[in-house]
Amino acid sequence: MNRPATIALVVAIAARSSADPLTLRADALAATQSPAGLVMLETDAKASPLVSAEAVVWTAANPLPGEHAGDVLVIALRAHSEDGRASAQLGRFVAVLGAIRPLQIDGAAGRVQLPHAFYTEAYAGVPVLPGLATSRTWDWVVGARLARKLGDYGSVGIAIMEQRDDGRLASEEVGADAGFALGKRDDLAARLAYDLANPAIADAEITARHAHDKALRFDLYAGYRAASHLLPATSLFTVLGDVPAERGGARATWKAAPRLEVSADAGVRRVDNDLAPALTTRARLALDDTNRSALIGELRRDGASDDAWTGMRGAVRIALPYALSASSELELVIPDHDRTADSRYRGRAWPWALAALGWDSGPWHAAAAVEAASSPETRKRIDALLSLGRTWSGP
Amino acid sequence: MRRAVVIFALVALAACAGVLGLRKSGPQPFPHRAHVLANVSCTRCHTQLERDAANALHVPDDASCIVAGCHARPHDAPPCLACHAAPEAIAQLAEARDHLAFDHGRHLPRTKGNCMRCHSGVAEGDDHLRPAMATCFKCHDHDAQRDARRCEACHKNLDAGTELPATHLAHDGDWLHEHGVRAASSADLCQTCHAEKFCASCHGVTVAALPATLHFADPFTPSVHRAGFAARHSLEAKADPGACQQCHQPDRCATCHLSKGIAGMGRTSPHPAGWVGITAAESQHGREARRDPAACASCHGGAGEALCVSCHKVGGVGGNPHPPGFSSRVRLTEMPCRMCHL
Repeated sequence: MNRPATIALVVAIAARSSADPLTLRADALAATQSPAGLVMLETDAKASPLVSAEAVVWTAANPLPGEHAGDVLVIALRAHSEDGRASAQLGRFVAVLGAIRPLQIDGAAGRVQLPHAFYTEAYAGVPVLPGLATSRTWDWVVGARLARKLGDYGSVGIAIMEQRDDGRLASEEVGADAGFALGKRDDLAARLAYDLANPAIADAEITARHAHDKALRFDLYAGYRAASHLLPATSLFTVLGDVPAERGGARATWKAAPRLEVSADAGVRRVDNDLAPALTTRARLALDDTNRSALIGELRRDGASDDAWTGMRGAVRIALPYALSASSELELVIPDHDRTADSRYRGRAWPWALAALGWDSGPWHAAAAVEAASSPETRKRIDALLSLGRTWSGP
Repeated sequence: MRRAVVIFALVALAACAGVLGLRKSGPQPFPHRAHVLANVSCTRCHTQLERDAANALHVPDDASCIVAGCHARPHDAPPCLACHAAPEAIAQLAEARDHLAFDHGRHLPRTKGNCMRCHSGVAEGDDHLRPAMATCFKCHDHDAQRDARRCEACHKNLDAGTELPATHLAHDGDWLHEHGVRAASSADLCQTCHAEKFCASCHGVTVAALPATLHFADPFTPSVHRAGFAARHSLEAKADPGACQQCHQPDRCATCHLSKGIAGMGRTSPHPAGWVGITAAESQHGREARRDPAACASCHGGAGEALCVSCHKVGGVGGNPHPPGFSSRVRLTEMPCRMCHL
């Protein structure tokens, strides 16, 4: 394991000095296709009711060219005041700030509750680069958000973020977010991110839900995304102008029977002048009252013009005696456009299948599977997977 | 013949009712309602409630049923609750005790021993007797704790991540695609249950393998990359430009394709015929670059941008790449403006 990863794990375990409880989890994954092996170590520790720490590190054996042999996913130390009105976090974590996109940083974040139901949160740090790479001298990001709770009904907030990449402006965004519960049955959530570097809306999304009763709910959703505004402002591809992608649709979810749930999603996507349906139907049937055995079936239709495709997916999991379970998953993707004349593509349809046997007994869990697939790049690929894990809990 | 069809239809309906859960085939829930209607006090069976020890389940044993004189002659050898209780009920009860800090002993005097004040569901049937959280709020004012996200006063071990909320913040519908917009205004609420590693397991740039890969034996692990994603990802990316950039760096396509040998030395150009033409009508690349600039940036970003500006520069054959009305706050001395404007 690389030295920083080892240090990360040791620091997290060091928090165990007065920790109660401490949890340590180790997972190993092996596959016959490269990368051949992966070991993940996780630990959580609570030094006191007000202070906690967590870390996740991994190392891979035989990584593919250009990929890394190990890294730190999370190493975070958190603390909050006794009344919960202030909290802080230090280390490597995913920083989330209202409508601004999540960003993994090495840095610090804090949150303070203000009078009159206002609260503010902020982060500052260095954007994470994969592979334990040392970031450049002038890579940094700062962000802040001010929000107000509206009683029991929701909250609204505004946020701003600036990111520098080697000293150059990479991203400058403002965001607005809102969430409302309109009575017991209806709620609404929305967010909007506006690019200040190349002024335009970068990303916007709204969703509304109505729960007709315990068994039936309806959702309406709409989204807008301008891909050029999601790139770093240092990229030449940010100056080409917008052809935003838009989508909208409705979804119904119906618990048709105690063990059967059915959902249907009918949407439309528009990119430039292309308009295309995006349809999904899904059914899930629990095979016992404990929900440990279940099967699912799904049909999808998506994409526009030459890139339209139809997909089918089915999966089943059966609980067996002795903490065993058997599962299988099948998928078939059929593109509308026959690409077999193009030497870069293989196959008229792309099936994928997996059969697995799992064992989950107390702190131990293990699984083995065989995966077979065909894709545009590979006519046939068969892979065997094996995983083994154990969890240890503190005193 | 008609009789056979009717019999077959009835058998099929009965089978469907069992499969769909409309007709319970195994042990039935304990008949709480019947006992209440028979004037059996809750505390006659659920003893020791007034001394509510941590994690005590207060599940009655056979002695409660027999010695009390109600059921003097059990008809079978196994414990009563082996047949007269839903098999998952006790496990669910134990899980609730693991995650809730609750003391029956402190509540009984206030309710004057009337359990129905909270467990009102017993009037409707034998399922779902555990009160919803809204029931607590009828007496308890937790506004201050709720505003400060101090859920741990009542909810224990929330960050174990094993229990989804049942009556509020239900993660139902297409939660995988909706969680972002819902978390935008309430990330602090999400953090009351989810630890950092939960978000980072998908959104981190240093992820080794996504949850669906790590938990390959569970086909119900939610993930946008599950099943045959490798085959369909190019189609999904084209249908929804910018979706990949929500999480991935622009060079992710090239890095992965190069490492897997799908692109790079010895490979033919990924672009179809007619990609670059003399006139705009003949040239696809401009239109595609505006639709999905991140796809181009993956290979042609950084030093590769010099290829673009070799034509698209002032006086170049490619002309001005900016759309009408284009404006930017980036200074001309900074990248990318200085590639052409200096």
